Order: sequence, then C-alpha cells, then structure tokens
Amino acid sequence: MSSALLSKLQREDVFACAQCGYCVKWCPIYDRSGWESTSPRGKVFLLKKMLENSGPNLFTSNTRIITEFVQRLFDCTTCGRCGEKCHLELDLLDLWVRLRELSVRQGLAPESVGLMEKTLFGPKNIFGMDSQSQRDWATYTGAEIKVQDQAEILYFVGCVTSYSGRSQGVAQAITAILNHVGENWSLMGEEWCCGHPLAVSGATEGYREIAEHNVRAIENMHAKTVVSGCPGCCLAFREEYPRVLGRKPNFEVIHFAQLLDRYITQGKIRIPKLDAIATYHDPCELARLGGVVDEPRRVLGSFVGNLIEPEESGRFGRCCGAGGLLKATNSAMSGELAEKRLTMLNSTGAQVVVSACPSCDQNLGEASSRFPNSKRVQDLAELVAQQMGLM
Amino acid sequence: MSLEKTVTDVVGTDRVSTSDLERIAYSHDLAPIPRNITGLFNNLPDIIVKPQSLEEAAGVMKLANRLRVPVTPRGSATWGYGGAVPTMGGILLDLRGLNKIVSFDEAKGLLTVQCGAVWKDILDFLEKTGWELPVYPSSAPSSTVGGFAATGGLGYGSLEYGSLVENVASATIILPTGEKTVIDPNSGWVTPPQLFGSEGTLCVFGELTLRLVPRRPSAAPFLAYFHQLSNAVEVANDLVRRTRPFSLILRAFGFVRARERALLSPEDAESGAIIFGYYAGMPDQVEESLSSFARRVADGGGILRPREEAEFEWSERFYPLRIKKLGPTVLTSDVLVPSNRLIEMVQHAWQLGCEASMDVEIENIWVSPDQVLFFPLFLSDERRTLRYLSHSAITKKLIDRAITMGGRSYGYGVWNSFHFTASEPTRRKEFAKLKTLLDPNDVLNPGKTLTAKTRFGLSLPKVLYAGFLETLWRLGEWF
Repeated sequence: MSSALLSKLQREDVFACAQCGYCVKWCPIYDRSGWESTSPRGKVFLLKKMLENSGPNLFTSNTRIITEFVQRLFDCTTCGRCGEKCHLELDLLDLWVRLRELSVRQGLAPESVGLMEKTLFGPKNIFGMDSQSQRDWATYTGAEIKVQDQAEILYFVGCVTSYSGRSQGVAQAITAILNHVGENWSLMGEEWCCGHPLAVSGATEGYREIAEHNVRAIENMHAKTVVSGCPGCCLAFREEYPRVLGRKPNFEVIHFAQLLDRYITQGKIRIPKLDAIATYHDPCELARLGGVVDEPRRVLGSFVGNLIEPEESGRFGRCCGAGGLLKATNSAMSGELAEKRLTMLNSTGAQVVVSACPSCDQNLGEASSRFPNSKRVQDLAELVAQQMGLM
Repeated sequence: MSLEKTVTDVVGTDRVSTSDLERIAYSHDLAPIPRNITGLFNNLPDIIVKPQSLEEAAGVMKLANRLRVPVTPRGSATWGYGGAVPTMGGILLDLRGLNKIVSFDEAKGLLTVQCGAVWKDILDFLEKTGWELPVYPSSAPSSTVGGFAATGGLGYGSLEYGSLVENVASATIILPTGEKTVIDPNSGWVTPPQLFGSEGTLCVFGELTLRLVPRRPSAAPFLAYFHQLSNAVEVANDLVRRTRPFSLILRAFGFVRARERALLSPEDAESGAIIFGYYAGMPDQVEESLSSFARRVADGGGILRPREEAEFEWSERFYPLRIKKLGPTVLTSDVLVPSNRLIEMVQHAWQLGCEASMDVEIENIWVSPDQVLFFPLFLSDERRTLRYLSHSAITKKLIDRAITMGGRSYGYGVWNSFHFTASEPTRRKEFAKLKTLLDPNDVLNPGKTLTAKTRFGLSLPKVLYAGFLETLWRLGEWF
C-alpha cells in the first residue's frame, strides 16, 4: 500500500513540521503518558522517518515498530487541539485520520475498528441493534414524536442518543422543546448512523453509501434545517458529506444549542432561572471543530444563576476522552482522560456539569459515578427542558 | 544485571522505556541531521528514563557514573545543535516530568521552579501576580527552564535585563557524579556563570530560583516597516540607546515575504525589514518612548504601523519558524554579532543565500545595546540529501564571519563545537578544566561542546570538518 492516501501537501507537512513541540503539552494523551511517541510531535517525527526509509510505501511490513506506531494512531481522541497550537498551522487532525485510513486498509487497525464497521453496515447503527428499535427511545421516555413526509426541520437523533439509555433523555428533551415552540419538524423515516465513527476510525470504504442515503432522504423531505444534539453527527453532515459526495447538501445543519440560542433571541422560549452553580464542558467536535463556542454559553447564561468557566475551555477546551473511537480501542485510557477532565470541571465548585454531546455526557457521567460526592453531568437540552417543566 | 533493570530499581518500571519506537522518537531535536552523516553518531538512546523528582534524577546520574554509561539530559529539545540528542547512545533523561512551581515568595519576587517547567506556563502563572519574568526564550510555548539555562539564556527581555543567569538567585544542580548541590553568585568553588550555557555537559539543572521584576503599570508594543534595510538597522540601533525597550526585534526579509504575500497589509509585502518590540514602564515613560519611536521612524524613512498591528506582531514573537512551510526545511545558525556590524552580517547572509539559491529571512533580537542575536532562517529541503548537506555549510560560513566581526556562535553542541576555540578561547580553556574536574568519567553528554565525538569514540578533526563543508559548498551547484 502506498502512502497515496496522504496528499502531497500532507507529505510536505510531515517534513515542514518544525518539531518545536508547541503541540506536545496540549495533547491529552501525551499529558497522561509523558512519552514522546504519544505526542503529536513524536508521531510526526516517526512518520517522517518511515517516509524517509520506505519512500511512498507506508505500513507495508508488520514489524513491531509499525504495530506500535499504529497503536499510537488509535490512542488518540482526534480532538484536534494539536493543530490549534501548531507553529505552522498544519492540519494534523486530517493527517491522523488519513493515517488511520491507511492502517485500516493494511489490516493493521485494532480489531474493534473492524467490528464497529461490520456492526454498522448491518443494521446501520454502531451498536448493532435492530434497526426497527431505532425509535424505541420515544416509547421508553414517553416523548411525543413526529414522522412526516415533509417538514421544515429534521431532527437527526444519532446512534448514541437513540440507543443508549443514559442519553435518551436528550432526544426526549429536544422533541419536547420542538413541540413546545410549535415547529414543523420530523424524524427521518429511516435514520442511518451518520457515519462519523467510520470517518474518524479510517474505515471509510462504505461511507459514501451512508452519506448518500441520509442526504437523499432529507432532501426528499424538503427540510430546510437539520438539527442534532450530537456534534459528531453535525460534523458528518457539515464537513464530511460534502467531501465524500462532492457537493453541499441542500439544507443547513446546526447543533441544538444553536437552535436554542435562536429561540431565546427570538423570544420563542423563556427558561426559568436555575439557582445553582454550573459549569460548561465544551465538546471538541462542537467547539473546536464546529466553531460553536458562544451559543451554549449564551443559552446557559440566560437562566443559570452562576455559570463558572472551567480551565482549558472554549476553542482550546480539553477533551473528555470520548472522541476518536478511543472508548472502543482503549476504554481504560478514555476513562482516565474523563476523570482528569472531570476533576478540572469539579474544581470550579459547580453543582451541575453541563455539556452538549451525548458521548461527552456519557464519558463524564461514567467518570463521575467513580468519584465520591459525584456531580450531576447533564446535557444542555435536558437541563433546559427540565427547567421549562417539559420533562 | 541489565541497565534497564538497574535503572528501573531507581525510578520504577513505568518510567523507563527501551521500546524501539520510543528510542527513535527521542533521537533528534529541531534540526534534521543529513542522512549521510547520521552513521557517524549513535543518536538512538539505549534507554529513556523519566524521573519524577530531583532525587530520582540524581540517582540515575549516580548510577550512570558508576557504570560509565553516557547520559543525555533533555527538556523539550527545542535547540538545534544536538545538545539534547545522544551521540553515543546510553541513557536519555527526559526531564519534562519535573515541571512544578516549587515556591513563590510574593513579597520578594522570588520564584522557584523545576527544570522541566515550560516558560509559557510560568508567564501565565505570573499574569495574576504583581511580578513579571525579566527574560524568556523565543520558544517559550514549549521550551523548559532547564533547557534555557543550559543553552545560553538570551531572549526576550535580555535587552533590558540581561541574560537568564543575571536573573537567577540560586540553582539546584545535579553534578555528573550524581551529587545534588546548590549554587548561587556567592558559591565558592563554582559560580552560576560557569555552568549556565554549558549545554548539559557540566551539570543537570534541577531547580532555579528566579528573581522576578515588578509588573510595570503600563506597556505597549510597537511596529514599523522599512523599505531600506540600512534605515531599519540605523533606527533600531538608535532606539535601543535612546528608549531602552524591553525587547526590540528586526526582521529582515529576502524574497520570503513577497512570496508569502502580505501578512498584514500591502505595505507589509513590500517592506524589506520590520522593527517591532515592546515598551514597559510608568505610563508617561511608555508614552514618551512611543513618541520617540514614532519620530525616529519618520526621520528614518519608515512607516509607523497602528497599535493593533503592533500587538499582532508582538503576539507572533513565539512563531519565527512559520516560514518553514515554504521550506520545508530551515537551516539556521544563531550567532551573536556587534550591533554596529549587523548590516554587514545581514548582507553576508543574503549573499550566501544567493550563492546557494536559498531564500532567507533573518530575525535579529537585540540582547544589549551593543549586541544582537542574529538568527537567519535559510529555506532548504532535507529530502534532497546532497544538496541539503551542501547547504548546511552555510552555518560554518556564518559563524566564521561572525567571529571575524568580534562576535561568536551562540551555542556549540555537536555541530558548532569546532568553533568554540575561535569564538571564546579563554572560556573554552576554563570549560575544559571544569569538565575534567566535574565529570572525570565523561558520562554527562559526552562528545559535545568541547569536541564532536563520533560513536567510535574518536573526535572529528576540525580540519576534516572544515574541508568537507567547504568542498560541499563549492560542489553545491551540481546537486
């Protein structure tokens, strides 16, 4: 397998990397291990050596060094903070993903990646659940849902929210708020996984089929806006589908935090005050990669008595460890990163930890259950719906 | 008993690695080594150790001294002369784990930090206090306290406050024998100026107590463009005497900026040089300095830029390597030159660049009114191996010229060790004596600074090095 998957620019970038180390201390994985090979700088240097030694052919032999290197590629949350701190503004995140893609094609990726891919292409969700049960969350939560042929707003629920008990309240909250506002909204007739896990894991072979299905179905419904409570789904629709399909879908894609912000500005909702100290954890895929930083803060600021900013937040926010499929490839590491992040969030003295991503909510929530005197970790949509008395 | 097992007994299993992948990851610093000569040195450490306390670091050093195993201390490896890279394998001591702020005496302005602390973290820590750092390196976002102490200690703030060693109250060091001791300006047997800048060959810096300076009530950055380099140099030299900024930097462009297009404005693209920097002091002093700056820039034919552009340029001071994207490799050689000879040095660098068809951008930081840290960035391509090797001769040529001007190489490491005698003959003699005294078994960063020793235990003769590079330079056009 040649390194043709790496663009010419990326191969240039590997040599352009200044090796200044500005990225190193910002990498949550390096922060945990302290070993150079786990740092973005270390990985770029190792890649450079491989390119020097093997020319354009990467990962052709299954030596111990290659195996260890591929492990480093998957011991990464793809949080993208390394690129933000890069002296040369290199697109390191894209480099990591392309390298994962190469290792998948060479059969060197961790088993869990293949398993996820196989599972996803069966019932079209990452949990391998029967696709008929995709809307069971509504039954469990008692949510009032709508499935129409046409609608102004399409609510894309996502796999984690649909199938994971801990997150189904987010779907209940979102539907309750959409109904409260009186929106003309709908769920998809047949919602497939957005495919984002395929994109970040490098198992991209069938991704186009997924993107085509979801985009075509939504365009047939003439939806103007797709809203999701999952930043990963939003990224798939907004960034990955146009790349895979070669065109932009005919609808806008926003996260539910952005819609809440619009509702507040337009006076469509009023949220009763919450007399508590809260702090907000920025999901990487929403804040850094999606550029949505101010909206959730404006929403929270409109009703929370005391909103405290944690350290390492906003665009440079620290990853909770849930991203990049790390939970599947190295769940112990993912848990440790969540504990570290939660410690930072707890140090604000907040009674409620709020986020806006089902994966972050889960990972932080699980870490919280391992802490004595654990704090509530809540999704923004749930907190708003609860305050409004809608759930 | 294996080396790994012996070291593990000192620091524990999870902080020792002999993995091949890890050894490669630690086998380099900023500067790519031409592949043709990598064979001369054993850059791969045999074992990497991450101590978590000074006691552990001292324990490893003591063990290495007993077993006669080379030790290479390493911070963030942001220096480009091989100081943090092994040349004979051995133990690599990764000191980044020793990164704590040990104590802060807010009344006296004394801050004690461990060697692995990153300068930018210290700057951020002090932001909430009434104190400031007098001096910090241009690589502050990643470079460590120990690394800066070991490699010269000149940087932003040196113009006003001198080098790092002048701003250190005391230092806890680990000697090559593993003994831990404290030195200060009144130490009898060895003083900080003898050890600072010793490039990790005489001691390992463990902790430093920094003398801070009171935060000034007012501060402002400044920026001006010049079409004529000579005008920019003249104005800069005048300003450092008249107004004494915290820092003053002159950036001279070859064709780089034109290729890169305007960073800030059309005038920027056309400028041959820019001057930027930072004033701090009482509000009226800062205002007076800014007025003097504006007048002098106008008199010198420069273009004064607005405050927001000055702020942007000052915030970019940690990113001089951005042009590397056009390389992809940069060749550099920091030298100290007398400020009244700077224009000659810049012209010389440009001529050399033209001869070798290398574009160049030059960063010049005034470290005193009379001395400039000259930092050229020649664009090259390490993938064209022979051509890159030929290009690398430019570093020797620059140092040679700096020495004839009364300047010197800023550091020696492996690659510039041949210039130590010509640059600083007296210091080198004293340095060699200290090395013998402090490191009788030659275990701490051996084969550097005083000599460039190969993996075979032989030092490269200067005549061979000089002849080799000069020949390559002449053959350069054929590569």
